[in-house]
Amino acid sequence: MRRFSLIAVPYFWLLVLFLVPFIIVFKISLSDTALAIPPYTPTLDVSTGWEGIRNFFAQLDWENFTFLTTDDLYWKAYLSSFRIAAISTLLTLLIGYPIAYAMAQSPDEWRPTLMMLVILPFWTSFLIRVYSWMGILSNEGFLNQFLLWTGLISEPLQILNTNKAVYIGIIYTYLPFMILPIYSALEKLDASLLEAAEDLGCSRITAFWLVTIPLSKQGIIAGSFLVFIPALGEFVIPSLLGGSKTLMIGKVLWEEFFSNRDWPVASAVAVILLLILIIPIVLFQRNEQKQREAEGQ
Amino acid sequence: MKFRLLSAAATLALVAGMAQAEEVRVYNWSDYIDEGLLAKFEEETGLKLIYDVFDSNEVLETKMLAGGSGYDVVVPSGTFLQRQITAGAFQKLDMSKLSNHGNMWDAIEARTAKYDPDNAHSINYMWGTTGIGINVGKVKEALGDDAPIGSLALVFDPANMEKLAACGVHILDAPAEIIPAALAYIGEDPDSHDPEVIAKVEPILTAIAPHVQKFHSSEYINALANGDICVAIGWSGDILQARDRAAEAENGVEIAYNAPSEGALMWFDQMAIPVDAPNPEAAHKFLNFIMEAGNMAAASNYVYYANGNLASQPMLAEDVIGDPAIYPNEETLKNLYTTTPYPVKVQRTVTRLWTKIKSGI
Amino acid sequence: MAETVFAPWNDDSATPLIQFKNVTKRFGDFVAIDNLTQDIYAQEFFALLGPSGCGKTTMMRMLAGFETPTEGQILIAGQDMAGVPPNKRAVNMMFQSYALFPHLTVAENIAFGLKREGKPKPEIDARVDEMLRLTRLEKFGKRKPHQISGGQRQRVALARSLAKAPKLLLLDEPLGALDKKLRQETQFELMDIQEKTGTTFVIVTHDQEEAMTVASRVAVMDEGRIIQVSTPADIYERPNSVYVADFIGDVNIINGHATRAGDGYDIAYAEGAAKLHAKTSTDLGNEGKCALAIRPEKVSITAKKPAKSVNAVSGKIIDIAYLGNLSTYHVELEGGQMIKAQTANTRRLARRTFTWEDDVWLSWTDTAAIVLEG
Repeated sequence: MRRFSLIAVPYFWLLVLFLVPFIIVFKISLSDTALAIPPYTPTLDVSTGWEGIRNFFAQLDWENFTFLTTDDLYWKAYLSSFRIAAISTLLTLLIGYPIAYAMAQSPDEWRPTLMMLVILPFWTSFLIRVYSWMGILSNEGFLNQFLLWTGLISEPLQILNTNKAVYIGIIYTYLPFMILPIYSALEKLDASLLEAAEDLGCSRITAFWLVTIPLSKQGIIAGSFLVFIPALGEFVIPSLLGGSKTLMIGKVLWEEFFSNRDWPVASAVAVILLLILIIPIVLFQRNEQKQREAEGQ
Repeated sequence: MKFRLLSAAATLALVAGMAQAEEVRVYNWSDYIDEGLLAKFEEETGLKLIYDVFDSNEVLETKMLAGGSGYDVVVPSGTFLQRQITAGAFQKLDMSKLSNHGNMWDAIEARTAKYDPDNAHSINYMWGTTGIGINVGKVKEALGDDAPIGSLALVFDPANMEKLAACGVHILDAPAEIIPAALAYIGEDPDSHDPEVIAKVEPILTAIAPHVQKFHSSEYINALANGDICVAIGWSGDILQARDRAAEAENGVEIAYNAPSEGALMWFDQMAIPVDAPNPEAAHKFLNFIMEAGNMAAASNYVYYANGNLASQPMLAEDVIGDPAIYPNEETLKNLYTTTPYPVKVQRTVTRLWTKIKSGI
Repeated sequence: MAETVFAPWNDDSATPLIQFKNVTKRFGDFVAIDNLTQDIYAQEFFALLGPSGCGKTTMMRMLAGFETPTEGQILIAGQDMAGVPPNKRAVNMMFQSYALFPHLTVAENIAFGLKREGKPKPEIDARVDEMLRLTRLEKFGKRKPHQISGGQRQRVALARSLAKAPKLLLLDEPLGALDKKLRQETQFELMDIQEKTGTTFVIVTHDQEEAMTVASRVAVMDEGRIIQVSTPADIYERPNSVYVADFIGDVNIINGHATRAGDGYDIAYAEGAAKLHAKTSTDLGNEGKCALAIRPEKVSITAKKPAKSVNAVSGKIIDIAYLGNLSTYHVELEGGQMIKAQTANTRRLARRTFTWEDDVWLSWTDTAAIVLEG
């Protein structure tokens, strides 16, 4: 019984916070748009009994999904989101790894402080932090003023409202999600393994490639998924920092929902986004599982 | 004992009921009222006012169409109001509770009746035009002293845009306002719902899009004031706010607003009561309070938008009533046009066209 | 004598493989190695023995190249090792934690060092097979380290460190993680492998029994210094100090006053008690303070005073420790001095002679006790 209730909690959580909303969104994606409250039809009317329920199901169809294939906007947006998320993940890894590495190498008494510094940004609202980047990156912003002052540039750099700003925003926002799992992998790394590698003929650099990197692989994978998955569906960062040409599926979704008021098509876009995300999520879960097994031994 | 318990419950219910009756929830555009008025309303009526803000019609509309927003008063713009009335989102106003309704300006009511027949569901709060805000110094620097600052050609002519791109141009991220402007520029009916006519704006907008720094509906206020951009197609009052912010900051930025000579879109923000408003009684009190001439004048003096309240005009500050950018003269007024909402199918075409213009896809 | 005893340290013409020359190592204020000079010869099995913090691990890490001496010189095969990084030394180390690469299989672990040398694959494979055979791990080549037992891991670590056929193999507490029985078996295996490969082994351990078993010479260390270097038998039978005597094995220490008598000393240790006598080559002058070290197994325990014995004292049994093969009697002398006496249990338990509170006599010969400076 106790065992059952232990398992029941996460499943209940999953059911309420994932499955039920998904079913609702999925149902809307099979509906038709309407000028009404709510703005789609059919709605489930239980008062007419079985007849009503049968009617309800009869009116659902896949029309919105076929519509998505008629316009190349959608797959281009998915693809562009995928590319932006992938590049951001790679850049976050390239920046996050050395930080995590330095943290893991630092003296024990520094580590809580360094960890704190990594987590500290979370104490401020995400929105405020993204807004402050607008202040930093704009033409008259701190960065340009500083670079102009140093004489490195003579004309302000156009960063805000371009994809560059989107990358900066995503990297900045998700960097802690990359650092923390890598740090925890590196922290566990036995320093004698590196000495052993050196003892067996490796230089410091080859020891890093042959021992440190493979042994922090789980952290790299976990961090990459933690960055990639939210970055793929990111809406706030591209809409605040990106330009009009920044095409991401989150923005397309917003437009379907708010500009076109087409909740059914918006839901169809969301359902497909979720299906795309399920692949990396499942891979991520399997990685975690593997790691648990390896540690359990 | 039982009796006492019952009476306690009754008292609780009463208190709860009173608390309910004391609240009125208003959902208005951001930076759109003199906050002194909010305190004044609470003082006069004894109602507790909960005042939330939004910055896009789309967000408001989504709340209205989802239902159960919990707001008593909301402020959609004309075309959005019309669509939401069709969807059944608003209740009819009870004129018997709006003693100040006689203050309203018939010239404006005649126009808003296009969206809300007989003005049965809404009262006008503010109205304005969509036009061009410029950083005078930077535009002259880019285009010379004879820059066509009063014409849509400033932004719709690629030759001008190429030169302005370096100093930054923002355009409202609102296809329902920019497409009519582009139609006006090429001499078509700005309120056309014919997809073929609408399609004519594509080459014009596509040609200038690469030079547009951003399509956005609120960032231009700060960007203009800071000198980050030099031109914005935006709403009159917002641009005037940018002008004042720049003046206050004394940063050497001089902002000017012009309603384009080819015609400018006239828009209306209407106060209405959602059909499921928790406290329609209080909502009427709020509308009546707003329609008081002195209150409306205070609001306009604060936000630099014209209002639909005739009786408030003698109380308006000279730099509001006397500014043709806010209260256009007769000649300009003739040049203003209004639009109506796109049907669902056309709306999709418009949104798609807009995405194509912005992103090239 | 046809067979020559392996003792290059006694041969003046032998050149040492490793030379520590006045090596000092400091970590901040802490002196880990204090002006130490020591030679180690090729094919030796040299044990560094001492309590934790005595500097034995630091010595080993300096040999491997993970630490550099603050002062002095370390030479390996005559070459000064200053500035030579670990990966450029013909020295391999077997780590206390084994430091097996968890992401590589047993065979890949063993091949790791060979691959760094860029040897052709068939050669590497042959060498890995050889190492697997040597350490009896043929069946486990494809397993990951977490899939084998502790003893097998220990052998993988050994195979990996031997794979490159180093001149010198350093073993840091190689058997520390094994249980006692396995440890004993492995000790002999280590010796066997050392003999087969002819590699010089330097082992660090805090376990004196292990050092005694495997090593050709044992260096007993304390506070950054080597107190005594000698063969295990010498260390045991002829410790040069109370510290060494006490550290190696079980010992009774009797403090007293020595006066020269014949070819040794008479030692007064308690008022009213008869003096003890010990033959020794230790020179304490005509008289002086001394410590007498007597191994418990060299003390006889009898019910009556033995007739012939030079040294005989009486006391009462306070405690008996039964160890199976041996029994140790704790006997309190009249002056309060405790002496341990050990007897082999050649008879069954039921016929044991002594029990608690028995009055007994303890005795030892005049050569059994070692006279040390007090």
